[in-house]
Amino acid sequence: MDAINYTRYSFYTMYRNWEVAAVLEATGLVKRYGQVTALAGFTLSVAPGEITGLVGHNGAGKTTFTRIVAGLAAPDAGHITIAGLAPRRAARLIGVAPQEISLYPAVTVRESLRVFGGLHGLRRKPLAAAIGEVTDALCLADFLDQRIASLSGGQQRRAQAAVALLHRPQLVLLDEPTAGVDPQTRQALIAALRQRAADGAAIVYTTHYLPELADLQATIAVARHGRVIARGTAQQLLSGLPGQVTLDLGDEVLRVPAVDTAATLAQLLTTITKPLRGVSVTEPSLDDLYQAVANAA
Amino acid sequence: MLHDSSGPTGCALRVAALVRHNLLLRRRDPANLITYMITPMILIALFKPVLTRLMPDGGTAQDVTGMLVLSSTLALQIVGMSLLSERTWRTWEMLRTTPATAAELLIGKAVPVLAVLLLQQTVVISYGVAVTGLSMSGPPFLLLVAMLVWSVTLLAAGSLLATLVRSHSQLAVLTDIGAIVLSTLAGALLPLSLMPSIARHVAPASPGYWAISMLKAAIGGDAAGTLGPAAILGGIAVAAGTTACLRLRRGLAQLKS
Repeated sequence: MDAINYTRYSFYTMYRNWEVAAVLEATGLVKRYGQVTALAGFTLSVAPGEITGLVGHNGAGKTTFTRIVAGLAAPDAGHITIAGLAPRRAARLIGVAPQEISLYPAVTVRESLRVFGGLHGLRRKPLAAAIGEVTDALCLADFLDQRIASLSGGQQRRAQAAVALLHRPQLVLLDEPTAGVDPQTRQALIAALRQRAADGAAIVYTTHYLPELADLQATIAVARHGRVIARGTAQQLLSGLPGQVTLDLGDEVLRVPAVDTAATLAQLLTTITKPLRGVSVTEPSLDDLYQAVANAA
Repeated sequence: MLHDSSGPTGCALRVAALVRHNLLLRRRDPANLITYMITPMILIALFKPVLTRLMPDGGTAQDVTGMLVLSSTLALQIVGMSLLSERTWRTWEMLRTTPATAAELLIGKAVPVLAVLLLQQTVVISYGVAVTGLSMSGPPFLLLVAMLVWSVTLLAAGSLLATLVRSHSQLAVLTDIGAIVLSTLAGALLPLSLMPSIARHVAPASPGYWAISMLKAAIGGDAAGTLGPAAILGGIAVAAGTTACLRLRRGLAQLKS
């Protein structure tokens, strides 16, 4: 009886832990290519349902990190698990959209999805249903029977994202998925990713285009020199940054940096004597955050 | 929604998906295969009257096996291209992010290419029998073994080449020049008995020499004469295939020549 209770307790505990545990857990990753250190203690965890925007200059280690998560490279040091498994053992739980288009040009979108879906264990009806679902979500249904080579750049990007999302992975890795794409593609992708996150997937989204992260309601990880130097929600990371209060006084324009823009504006309005012709308040943006963090590091 | 991807069933399903996919890729780009099938037929017809005059036995077996070895060595380009294209399309990396193991990826890639090489040899030998009067006195099984061994050797050599070159043009130059030089040295164009004595001494260094010996013996029903060269070609295939696999384990994108 005790044994049975213990087993039940363990199972329950495991289930509870599973619910709250991060899907991706990377700690102190180090990766060197000869004399070049690509990752120097890269630490990042992403919870189920969380979209994490991974930002940083070229060479910050973003692509190396995504390659390690995808099982394409092994770290020289550090520890990484995906849903408790080593990356190569977790391949069926991961969907990857690399930075560059990596699809067969001579095959159609449907054929591409079939082969990658098949390799992830999808067959027949579930595969057809998954293809229908993901191509609808990414506005690709009209291009299913067109060859990849004949698609526009944006359509190819969507096809690549469709491959990553097809098998409903627990962890989705997208490396600059909207580089050089039109607004329609960007909106379709963002909507599809938000839906997947709402369904419980953890998403790592590498980008240089920071306003996308606000649209995605993503948490942010800023990478520099092979490590994460700032991590949190946009609100948390922006809270200490100054915005700007601008007063147009006719013959001069007064620009005042301010952390608390409302209080600063109120104070300024009580002190100015000249007639006021205009007021504007600018809150700090993600670009300001990135610049501040990068400059401070 | 996902089927169990572990175990032999998952492995077999993934290999089947890869084989289907690679056959599709072959079908979408049939030009090379057609070229390498038609060229030996034309060459066999052109060389037939020359060899009939030069060789006491009529030279039919020499004509067919020689042109077959020349054209199948040229077809190394198909083998190399099938791997090299995965590098230029960056699709090998995408495949490696799936649950498919490196062995499954290689088998899925190799089976269609092996089928293409066997098809090419079958078509050329059938043409030799039907059009030039090639006499098949050996059992078909022996010939099948010989064709299989030669195809596996080409597959291994082509895979190794694909891991050594940096571009399609490098591969094309290497396979074209290499195939012509090695096949000529092997006695594919003219029998070694008509070539300078130095060529006869150098010939065994060419895998084509052993392929011609093996195929001729298989056509003539000489099992011992087939299996000896087959063992040598098997050794070459194992050496080339192992080296190629070791290089491929690092990933195609990271390869440097």
